[in-house]
Amino acid sequence: MFRAFLTATKIQTRIGIKEKPCLNLHGNLPSFQCALVRRKSSIRQAPLLTASPVRALMDEQICIKGRFLPPLSPITVYAQMHSEDGDLWESFAHYNTNSSGSINLTSDHSVGGSYVGCEPMGLFWGLHPAPGQREGLRLRKNNVESPYTIHISLLEGHISPRAGQVTELAAVTTERWYMAPGERRIEIRQNGIVGTLFLPPGPGPFPAMLDLFGMVGGLLEHRSALLASRGYASLSLAYFGHKDLPGPEKCINVGDSYFKKAFHFLQDHSQIDGDRIGVTGVSFGAYLTLRIGIQIGVKPSCLICINGPIGSVSKLVDESGRTENFESDQKHWTFDDQGRVSFRKVSLPSNIPAKNKVKVENLTCPLMYIVGEDDLGASSLETADLMEETLRSAGKSHLFTRLSYPGAGHFIEPPYAPNERMSLWSIKPQKLMSIWGGHPAPHAAAQEDSWKKILDFLESNLRR
Amino acid sequence: MDRNQTCVKLSVEPSRGLVDEKILVLVQNGFPGSQLTIHALHQCEDGHHWEAFAHYNADATGTVNVSQDRSSGGTYSGVEPMGLLWSLRPVPGSKPGLRMRRKDVWVPMVVRVSVYRGHQIEGFPDQTPLAIVVLERWYIAPGVQRIPVTEDRLTATLFLPPGPGPSPGIIDLWGGGGQLVEYRAALLASRGFAALALDFLTPKVTIETGKAVGNDYFELSCAVSISGSHVQPVDGSIAEILNYFDTNRAKTRFNENNEVIWKDLLLPIPTDPSLKVDMGRIQCPLMLIVGEDDQNWPACESAADIKDMMERAGNNHLLTLLSYPHAGHLIEPPYLPHTRTSLFKSLGKGEKYMVLWGGQMLEHSRAQEDSWRKLLVFLREHLYGGSTSAVPSHL
Repeated sequence: MFRAFLTATKIQTRIGIKEKPCLNLHGNLPSFQCALVRRKSSIRQAPLLTASPVRALMDEQICIKGRFLPPLSPITVYAQMHSEDGDLWESFAHYNTNSSGSINLTSDHSVGGSYVGCEPMGLFWGLHPAPGQREGLRLRKNNVESPYTIHISLLEGHISPRAGQVTELAAVTTERWYMAPGERRIEIRQNGIVGTLFLPPGPGPFPAMLDLFGMVGGLLEHRSALLASRGYASLSLAYFGHKDLPGPEKCINVGDSYFKKAFHFLQDHSQIDGDRIGVTGVSFGAYLTLRIGIQIGVKPSCLICINGPIGSVSKLVDESGRTENFESDQKHWTFDDQGRVSFRKVSLPSNIPAKNKVKVENLTCPLMYIVGEDDLGASSLETADLMEETLRSAGKSHLFTRLSYPGAGHFIEPPYAPNERMSLWSIKPQKLMSIWGGHPAPHAAAQEDSWKKILDFLESNLRR
Repeated sequence: MDRNQTCVKLSVEPSRGLVDEKILVLVQNGFPGSQLTIHALHQCEDGHHWEAFAHYNADATGTVNVSQDRSSGGTYSGVEPMGLLWSLRPVPGSKPGLRMRRKDVWVPMVVRVSVYRGHQIEGFPDQTPLAIVVLERWYIAPGVQRIPVTEDRLTATLFLPPGPGPSPGIIDLWGGGGQLVEYRAALLASRGFAALALDFLTPKVTIETGKAVGNDYFELSCAVSISGSHVQPVDGSIAEILNYFDTNRAKTRFNENNEVIWKDLLLPIPTDPSLKVDMGRIQCPLMLIVGEDDQNWPACESAADIKDMMERAGNNHLLTLLSYPHAGHLIEPPYLPHTRTSLFKSLGKGEKYMVLWGGQMLEHSRAQEDSWRKLLVFLREHLYGGSTSAVPSHL
């Protein structure tokens, strides 16, 4: 056996007692605040914190375990990450180690913090802006090609991480990805279509989805990226509030022909099975999903609507679906005692003119409608009731699947992402916050359950 | 368009795992009872392609679960959850003597896993698969820091796990091939150890100083030797040790394929105490990992001698011996392909030899999996509190 011929002290300094440089993160992210005191632990054993897998897809569970901790002792698990805008998000939970000095977040119960009870993914969906961050933030990933990096620590005792000095016992870094290895992201700017196409690896042909978001506008790619990681080609389509789209701001300047072109783009794609295309949309995108599926002359295999109206909530400019400025008619906006706006009543079926409504009775393919029962952004319950009734009268109940989640709010997203009960809507003429509803734990449960059911629904309708 | 092609679903989890993590490979929505081939393809850093494949029959629900179902043929057979990785071999037509060794730990090993109709044995590039999934196998976890060390004219790299420390430390020494090999240290750091990959055969050190720099000892908490031997001139410099091997060159043997067997260079195990480390004096727990079909180094014979020395000295309670029948010399982290022979460039004159390392694929792969698991347990057991250094060495 060879001896190690190094200067003993030099190396012992390096590996015995670590001096702690700041974490080196991807690219341009700022380093973490070094508010934690790093000193040799008072515990004899070297505590170990593990996460499995350390690199997960956003909808995959991560199993977090702590070992070699003092037995039957209070421990805090603390997660922190920076959003792309540089805001600090954090969460924490209090656990007690068992008699072997271990914790396992998949089976143990949190007794306090950002969540309580047995919540394997609570550290992720429980993330919230750290105190002192800007108001009304929403966590959105613009660049889906890079992961979120989340640093998780074990701290001694049941503490709030912000409260003075804390002792960090162990740490692990996890990455959460929207895209799977080998998945391809392709910007689409052709034929007037503004979107991003995600393709799974391989030649295909793949079943496909057309993916629409709401009046937040722009181009949100994260759900399409995840759908492609599950084997579906998916096109995120912009229709409002995007620099590459025509016309005045705040109006929808594209009509039925635009959505038809997007659908045909998928049908004609050499790596997509033209007979297996579905449409999904959330909020205003849910209305568009119905319109595309029923009214414009294309034949999707299935539709998934999340918390959206049955008709256009903005005044229609013409027959093709273009609309006026959403904010031009505020009569159904309601304000709470703190001046925050809820758009819930705007989409109440009785507040939508008949000519704006989609004729749901003409549905010819399976439709899944997902309701957050605490949705303060749309009248989802009433809309679901109306759809159910309309389809029953038309003898088409067999096409309708309704998922309803108590305590869930407006933005029912893929799982393990935090919910924002309210967010900043606009800053002019003055700052306006909008409320969307949803309580953390039930909303997280809704996201997890609905995503599973969405994938099963797609499996049944696009693969068999 | 073939409707069946849209239906078949292939999933591999985790899609981005560490190299020593298990994967779950699942095929669903296949035709019940149909014959399917699952194929893995990897292009390594030097550009060569490696592949593995196995034949399955979908069950009554059209499912194949690689962790539970039997492969009826291919590069492995039977129930082998990780067979698609450890049975990877150079594709037909590749040059002989290839070995897979990761140089850049920041780039994962990328494996393309495909499902084909029927029981195929060749011609995969010309066929259209039913489904494809791409897998990444990482040697390094997120948050691990890589710190090049250049003090004292060393060639070393330190890998630190995330967290406050102090982390138990490991010095990882590689063998006679020279060059700094980082991937095992990166993997150890991903498992919570501070690991220093050290190239003690750096030409710079030996040429400029002629002997080791600062022969200070560490106080070791434990030591792991993989495929090693205690036979060497005690108190010798690296140059003297290499010279000792050289003087026995005549004992080099060649098998019927003209592959080099070097284990005899140190055999028989000498009785002269100046020619072998006195294992009776060792004071820390020691784990020996040996392949019984090691054709490159007399690890097995040395282990027997070490055991004997320690029994006579009364310190054999410190010894853990893991001895694996039909395993060869290159006992690597788990699920990496077994290398029975490869082209090896000797340090001294830079000549190339086709070296026989030994081992049979199946037993060698089992040895890699078992020994890694036991090595991690051993290191954790002995590396907390007090002094925190350990030396796994690989000859």
